[in-house]
Amino acid sequence: MDEVKVMDEQQRNESLNRHVELDTTQFIVAQLGGEQYGIDIKYISNIIRMSRITRVPKVSDYIVGVINVRGIVIPTISLRLKMGLPGDEITKKTRIIILTLEQHESIGVLVDEVKEVVTLDEEHIERVGYEKDDKERFLSGIGKTEGRLISLLDITSVLADVMES
Amino acid sequence: MDTSQYLDIFLDESKEHLQNLSDQIMELEQNPENMDTVNEIFRAAHSLKGMAGTMGYKRMQTLTHDMENVFSEVRNGTFKVQPGMIDILFRSLDALEEYVDNIQQTTEEGTNDNQDLIDALNSILKNNGEIKPISKSESAAPAESSAPAGGSDTKQPRWGEMKISDTERMLVEKAYNEGLKAYGITVYVEEACVLKAARAFLVFKALEKLGEVIVSNPTAQDIEDEKFDLTFSLVFISGNTVDEVRAAVKSVSEIEEVFCDTYQLEAASEPGHQEPEKEKEEEAAVEQPKPAASAPAAAPTPAAASKPAAANKPAGKPVVNRTVRVDIEKLDNLMNLVSELIIAKNSLIAATAAEGKGDNGNAVNEQIEYLESVTTNLHESVMKVRMVPIESVVAKFPRMIRDLSKKLGKKMELYMTGEDTELDRTVVDEIGDPLMHMLRNSADHGLEPNDVRVANGKPEVGSIFLDAYQDGNNVVIEVRDDGAGINIEAVKQKGIERGIITPEQAETMTDKEVIDLLFMPSFSTAKKVSDVSGRGVGLDVVKSKIESLSGEVEVKNSYGEGSAWIIRLPLTLAIIQALMVVVGEEKYAIALGSIQTIEDVSPEDIKLVQAKEVIHIRGTVIPIIRLNKVLDIPPREDENQNLTVIIVRKGDKQAGLVVDELIGQQEVVIKSMGKYIKVPKMISGATILGDGEVALILDTNALL
Repeated sequence: MDEVKVMDEQQRNESLNRHVELDTTQFIVAQLGGEQYGIDIKYISNIIRMSRITRVPKVSDYIVGVINVRGIVIPTISLRLKMGLPGDEITKKTRIIILTLEQHESIGVLVDEVKEVVTLDEEHIERVGYEKDDKERFLSGIGKTEGRLISLLDITSVLADVMES
Repeated sequence: MDTSQYLDIFLDESKEHLQNLSDQIMELEQNPENMDTVNEIFRAAHSLKGMAGTMGYKRMQTLTHDMENVFSEVRNGTFKVQPGMIDILFRSLDALEEYVDNIQQTTEEGTNDNQDLIDALNSILKNNGEIKPISKSESAAPAESSAPAGGSDTKQPRWGEMKISDTERMLVEKAYNEGLKAYGITVYVEEACVLKAARAFLVFKALEKLGEVIVSNPTAQDIEDEKFDLTFSLVFISGNTVDEVRAAVKSVSEIEEVFCDTYQLEAASEPGHQEPEKEKEEEAAVEQPKPAASAPAAAPTPAAASKPAAANKPAGKPVVNRTVRVDIEKLDNLMNLVSELIIAKNSLIAATAAEGKGDNGNAVNEQIEYLESVTTNLHESVMKVRMVPIESVVAKFPRMIRDLSKKLGKKMELYMTGEDTELDRTVVDEIGDPLMHMLRNSADHGLEPNDVRVANGKPEVGSIFLDAYQDGNNVVIEVRDDGAGINIEAVKQKGIERGIITPEQAETMTDKEVIDLLFMPSFSTAKKVSDVSGRGVGLDVVKSKIESLSGEVEVKNSYGEGSAWIIRLPLTLAIIQALMVVVGEEKYAIALGSIQTIEDVSPEDIKLVQAKEVIHIRGTVIPIIRLNKVLDIPPREDENQNLTVIIVRKGDKQAGLVVDELIGQQEVVIKSMGKYIKVPKMISGATILGDGEVALILDTNALL
């Protein structure tokens, strides 16, 4: 299981500092179907290749199961199912993004592919209005970079029902 | 050396003494004439007083002092133990316990003077013994002051006997060159002092404010570990005068005598050459109130001030009964590492199995087997370290039953066995309240009033039994009484009244189902609400608490003869022996403890009873649970083959779980699945297999 360590504590602090200084945010860009989604890097502790997922019976559809990340059992969800897209097709490019929202509590998110890291200024982010439809309620805004549009995920609302349980 | 360490010891020992006092006073109530008991109580009260005084807990000291006085007179035969006295003594114990609790929580003893108890104790002295309390405290004091008087002849400055190294010699010379002074100091601690090391520490603290301690005899570490008699000497460099230094040392209470004079380097080779002036604290009577008065102010200061000092000294290790106190967190950490080791070992086994049996397969297997036995032993040892006897929890129950007996006006006795049964520390900490609820329940609801008992031909005094024992991988704690037992009809009636069940349901309910009603929230069959039990909080709390500890409660009832409440708890919470099975394509672990047998069953042997599948095995009818259905796994297609059925049991219930394959027995480490996934009840956790795959652990109790 190859692991791509995204950043260590120091880098994380640096990126947070930079965030404060320049009012920019770094996002990991993930491919999901035809769209690209950005996830705020501050939530991401790790990105791993597809590993064996153990199904758990009698849980919500979008929870695909649990995985072992360095001796810790972490539940994993399908972002596709969560966003109302067709189910995942596992390929060589499939990745699991490990998000850590609270201390010692992590969750894995299955995506088609991880593209790159982009840094966006606040002025290049267009905030989404209040009237959000089903899909858009998970977005915190749209980012523009090099002529592309990236849907920026509001991770806390994506995982709201997971975190409640 | 941090005073907070002494606080821990103080708390532990105080609790021990209080428990001892409680036991002994109970004993005294039975045999008021037993002088051994009186002596034991006197000793315990005396130690407690000394400890409270040393730590500066004045109120606690005063109260124990007065208790001690009463016992001192009983011991002297001035008067005898009266029943009324016992009650006051118990109330005093409660008050002392409150102090200790306060200290544990806030490091302060609280502000309750318990003047009423002190007055009550003093009036015992006045009325029965015709001795005024004032003269008592005097009579106690000489006992302590006589020791210094007797031993003072032999006390002399002893720093001359100390060997000093060249470096230290240089330091002294350098000090003289810089216009500082070197002093030799010999300190004698009072004989009655309980925490000598704490006193020595305070002396060091006081001196460090004035200058620098160069060398001490015994060494600082030995002093810290209390490896010294009543005296220690040191060489000290300071710019202050002899009197100031001496005053600083004497400001510490319970110091009997201080010798202090300028230190001459030659003195090292000529012991006893010096004729230092001798200072003596004359009166213990004066000394006695002093620690009490100064301590409340002083107590927080050393705690705060000692932190920087503690940082540059090696971590102190209080030695009590040759044990080491370890933070439970460190043990948890150790346990986690052992878990990791077991996972790594399992991986190794899986890897070598996958490699196939090469030429050197045997050698590797041998080593793996060796590793396996080492990790298993290591695991057991770490588990044992975490195990504590339930005694610490159950020891308070006899007293509780005594109080209940008085309060309820019923005569009863508690018989306990298996107090030395050991359980994981975390479990022991949690088990006290549920047990207390159950005992109260037995005392209040279980046992009939004495006259009813006599009318029914039972002994007048009711019996409650608390038995603990180990049963395989479980520990069983049974609370039994020889009372009326559970009145099934009364419970049904209550259930109907409360609207929990309908009269129709009541008709068809089994006794067991009826008893289960008792564990529902807000269910109480007590005719009148007392403050003992009967508010309907209790049994449901008991049940959820036990279940949160992965245990279970079972009730055996015999109407008219009593009931037994049986708690079954797992020995360990972190690592279990499990049987690995395959259902469909998925692997699951089943705790070995719940498995009875494994049967090979032909499909024809499965019968239908009320549309449910059952099998007959050796005369019993056992319901069949097809795990693939329960776990939503598509069935395999080999329908006609024999089925592998695992017979599991929970109490006296049994069920057969149908699985597709057996992998074998394995030690598995239970891992939390995190709080972001809400797993069904039948999954009790997850574990990581040797090849890194996650397997779920089935909770067969939830399936039954």
